[in-house]
Amino acid sequence: MPRNLQIALVCLSVAVLIGLISLHGLHNRIQTLEENQNTEEQARHELMEPEISTPSDVKAKAKLFWAAGPDRTAPIEMELTLSAEPAQRARQVLRALIESVPSPMLRTLPADASLLAFYILPDGTAIADFSDALALETPSGIMSEELAVDSIAKTLENNVPGLLRLKILIHGQEADTLAGHVDLTGFFDLGPTAQENQGAVSTPQNPAPAASPGAASPAAAGSAAKSPK
Amino acid sequence: MLVAGASVLIARAKPSPIGRAKASQQQATVEQVAAQEKEQPAQPATPPQTPAQTPPPVYRGPLIILDPGHGGADPGARGPNGVQEKEAVLLITRIVRIGLEREGFRVMMTRNDDSNPSYDDRAALANAHRDAVFVSIHIASTGAVATARTYFYRFASSLPEVAGTDASAAPIPAAGGPVLWEEAQESYVEASKRFADILELELAQRFPGSAATPSPAAVRELRSVALPAVAVEISNIIATDARTWTTMAPPLATAIGRSVQAFRSAGAAGGD
Repeated sequence: MPRNLQIALVCLSVAVLIGLISLHGLHNRIQTLEENQNTEEQARHELMEPEISTPSDVKAKAKLFWAAGPDRTAPIEMELTLSAEPAQRARQVLRALIESVPSPMLRTLPADASLLAFYILPDGTAIADFSDALALETPSGIMSEELAVDSIAKTLENNVPGLLRLKILIHGQEADTLAGHVDLTGFFDLGPTAQENQGAVSTPQNPAPAASPGAASPAAAGSAAKSPK
Repeated sequence: MLVAGASVLIARAKPSPIGRAKASQQQATVEQVAAQEKEQPAQPATPPQTPAQTPPPVYRGPLIILDPGHGGADPGARGPNGVQEKEAVLLITRIVRIGLEREGFRVMMTRNDDSNPSYDDRAALANAHRDAVFVSIHIASTGAVATARTYFYRFASSLPEVAGTDASAAPIPAAGGPVLWEEAQESYVEASKRFADILELELAQRFPGSAATPSPAAVRELRSVALPAVAVEISNIIATDARTWTTMAPPLATAIGRSVQAFRSAGAAGGD
């Protein structure tokens, strides 16, 4: 074999080897990019996912209080996936209160509002932290602001057991008023009526934790407006 | 800390410097109000110039403190034509004030311009007076047009049933003791409810479609007022004609005046 041909073959082999190595590296990089993209989408999906399911979640009927006129709310039963864990259950019903309104006429909370956080203190105080939209887009007025607070309070007291009072925050901060009128510096009573009736109504459709039976109470539907302290 | 602001002790009998300053700003500036004043000048403090004129009645009842809501950077509710609640309630309150003064009442306003006294400033002005009632005036974003509703503050789980109680029983706050600023209204809640009951009946007679009974609501202005205090909300800001509200103002003044008289005659004015 002529020497020139041998050199050409060696060069060609080296080139093919380098090409193969480069191709393998390129393949690895493409795979890494795809994995990153999947991770981002997964994170976005998790962020957008409306509810976090827990093993105790069951389909149950919740009573959501929407507007039944300019100055009062009334319950509408809706089947939701509800957790037995009170804070998670509260998040689920409040999200439904905002996102699952049967008709725009019944809306009590702005469509752009969202629940940022919800937790329960050991003394039974529920802390509900809403986005700025709740304050900015709720129609200004005593009547309309009371309607918004009333729908939140009654929905909680009729679906989440063990809550005694409610504190509403706006974007993590205490606000003077909701939209210029209703006082948010205090707490809202979450219905002695509901608490007194604990255990009176506990249907299979509305399961509650064993420690706090009887989440729902039809009698509480007509309870008086809540007031802060 | 969840509840903002440290609790401040107040002394009821001590006049507030803010209150004195605000009390001196009582000159109406809106043309409509000025025109009405020209037509029938009636200042209870000014004696008639001619013997033939009938002097205006001087009703020695409690001072009526009118509180036009919002003001300054806080416009309140907004109407479709750009009407702002702060302007409309100021106009209404000025007319109400004139109507009440014609009846001989002593009246004071928490603001008489486009300022925005803080909630504490408004309360301080009111709390500088012992024999007084506080009426905050608002316009709603909702509700049937040309109706009105009265609200009284109710603290959580603290209001006992007042039905059947003696309406003449005066609210007696802790005798001479200091009161937490943030809970100043608490001692007056029952008196405020009685006043609101009377006022709502008067409003229902004058504005058909209004509720027959007042509503408890956590109206921020009322919380630190150590007086019988109510909020009146007129519906509603979507009315395109401002005369909707201005025509409501004279009957609103009559309703407030009669309510104050009835409240006082029942011995429930509080304070003194």
